[in-house]
Amino acid sequence: MTDRTPNYIHFSDYTKHIPENIPVAVQQATNRFLGNREARVAELPNWQELRQVAHEIRLHTLENLDFYLTQLERQVVQNGGVVHWAANSAEARAIVIDIATQHQVKTVVKAKSMASEEIGLNEGLSEAGIQSFETDLGEFIIQLAGVGPSHIIVPAVHLKKEEIANLFANKLGVEAPPEPVQLTAIARNILREKFLKAEMGISGANFLIAETGTLVIVTNEGNGRMCTTMPDIHVAVVGIDKVVPDWDSLTVLLKLLARSATGQKLSTYTSFISATSRGSSEGGPKEFHLILLDNGRTRILHDPLGRETLKCIRCGCCLNVCPVYKNVGGYAYGWFISGPIGAIFTPQILGTHIAQELPFASSLCGACVDVCPVKVPITEILLHLRQRVVEGNQHVKPSAPLWIRSAGKIGTLAFQIPWLYQLGTRLLPFLTAPLNKRGWIPSLPPPFNRWTRVRPFPAFSARFRKWWSK
Amino acid sequence: MSNTNPIIDNIRKALNRLPNDTVSNKPSILKPRISGSQESELDMLIAEINKLSGFARRITIDQIESELLNLIKVEKITKTLLWDTPWLNQFNARKFLESNNIEIIPNNSSKDKLAQCELGITEADFALPETGTLVLLSSQSKPRTTSLLPRVHLVLLNPQVVVPDLHQVFASTRDNPYTVFITGPSRTSDIELITTLGVHGPKSLYVWIIC
Repeated sequence: MTDRTPNYIHFSDYTKHIPENIPVAVQQATNRFLGNREARVAELPNWQELRQVAHEIRLHTLENLDFYLTQLERQVVQNGGVVHWAANSAEARAIVIDIATQHQVKTVVKAKSMASEEIGLNEGLSEAGIQSFETDLGEFIIQLAGVGPSHIIVPAVHLKKEEIANLFANKLGVEAPPEPVQLTAIARNILREKFLKAEMGISGANFLIAETGTLVIVTNEGNGRMCTTMPDIHVAVVGIDKVVPDWDSLTVLLKLLARSATGQKLSTYTSFISATSRGSSEGGPKEFHLILLDNGRTRILHDPLGRETLKCIRCGCCLNVCPVYKNVGGYAYGWFISGPIGAIFTPQILGTHIAQELPFASSLCGACVDVCPVKVPITEILLHLRQRVVEGNQHVKPSAPLWIRSAGKIGTLAFQIPWLYQLGTRLLPFLTAPLNKRGWIPSLPPPFNRWTRVRPFPAFSARFRKWWSK
Repeated sequence: MSNTNPIIDNIRKALNRLPNDTVSNKPSILKPRISGSQESELDMLIAEINKLSGFARRITIDQIESELLNLIKVEKITKTLLWDTPWLNQFNARKFLESNNIEIIPNNSSKDKLAQCELGITEADFALPETGTLVLLSSQSKPRTTSLLPRVHLVLLNPQVVVPDLHQVFASTRDNPYTVFITGPSRTSDIELITTLGVHGPKSLYVWIIC
């Protein structure tokens, strides 16, 4: 079975050949979402309190994750669902295919789910001879185009309506005018047939409520509702980090999610699914399977700082503010998750040897930390991972040569020992006196001249303590 | 079951926890929003739904029939799905629609048959003014599909169901098998960020608050 998990992520190589439509489209999307978000944040008087409580809830859940997952499993089973545990992508795919094969499923409809992207589910299903249709409009378009998502919320934003019309004409054989309203209507009709025909619907989940075993799914188009209502079998693939303790906790997280993601107060549809249908009139699936995916998350839990990565509720706001992401788009990050959260999630899940470039794909400006609704300390974790790359990773040369690192160590020492520091402040003005031209050093001998080739160096002059005592 | 689960075991190892460890210090949650007067809450609900391109307003019981006639003309309705609840039944919409040659499709019909309806009529179990959200529970007489499959969704809303915040909704709905929040008509911005209504769910959402 093929695995879409990358062997190495060539971030810097990719950034040298970015198609020019990507940054333009991505910035249109991110600026729209950010503008809306700002308006929503301004409306709420207690935004910062909400973020603080959300952070506390998410961290508390992770610190007691075994308890909440055990409770969740018990509740789902009590509600009549089946719980499966998948240690990795291959196991998760195998479980889905197994359920599909047992029920002779030929057609699957899929709601947008990052977990299914993470495990490469579409490829797995296709190899098993099962047709799967992405039903989110953007995902449907990029599935037809055979490309990956350029943005987490609007995955096909880099495609022009004319390109989409051509795609519909070529792949679906329909007359398609380049008009969003009509293109949407065509997709609605085609996917409506699939919804009615499909034997199985696959979704992810935004949250799992431990106390009642409830799946919470948020969508705008209604495809999440269709996938979890129309087919007889509903399978949800969800990361173990998605659990929340109770409905009280959910009041906080739901208020933050849509506002941070698209700047909506709430997304159009939020479904709370605890049990299957109780009869033919009610509608809804007859069978429910929940696949809980680990795929390296328990390994992240070991590290108290890295653990905070798993607080993420996948709003995508950190992408929208990130100056690096806005210029390179989603593809550069090499896996299903991009932007600042991808830069910390991917190296921890796949290992720093595969994603060693990602912790460096940031200017550490911290804009992501300011907007994150659950306060993931992204810059701290980036630095933490840079250290891990440099120290533990044989593939990477240290970024500075030996003499600079030695000089750095001596500098650190000097700042720690007062007499050495004072000796230095007295000696340096004398040693550099021959180079000093009216308070500036215009050129330095090699190897120090890399600085002075571009700009003069300020001369060592006063002694700070002496100046301060005046 | 979880005693032999290697994932749970790994989590416990990572967190230094033992199988019988309990949970301490659950963070406390912020208080719910305080309700305004009933009229101002209704005004807010109407304003929010309309901001989202829904059509919300107050009507009187006497206006229901003429409004229904108008709706089936404007939206070209021939087949309808209808929830079967005591509150909704008091308006006799079934009889009125049938007398105007609208076919009411039974709720236990096949999926294909249900999908042919252009209009779905429901009530709402709760409504949240701050976000313009309608909360619908499901049962045999309140199918999940009525508010999903048709192109047009009409909600007849009892003003008594308006509550100030999520807390009051969840307190009542938490043990239900299925709940859906509906905040405006189905929408997407997936093509060139242009907002388009009615992707998979209803394109038109009418909310008539019966005052």
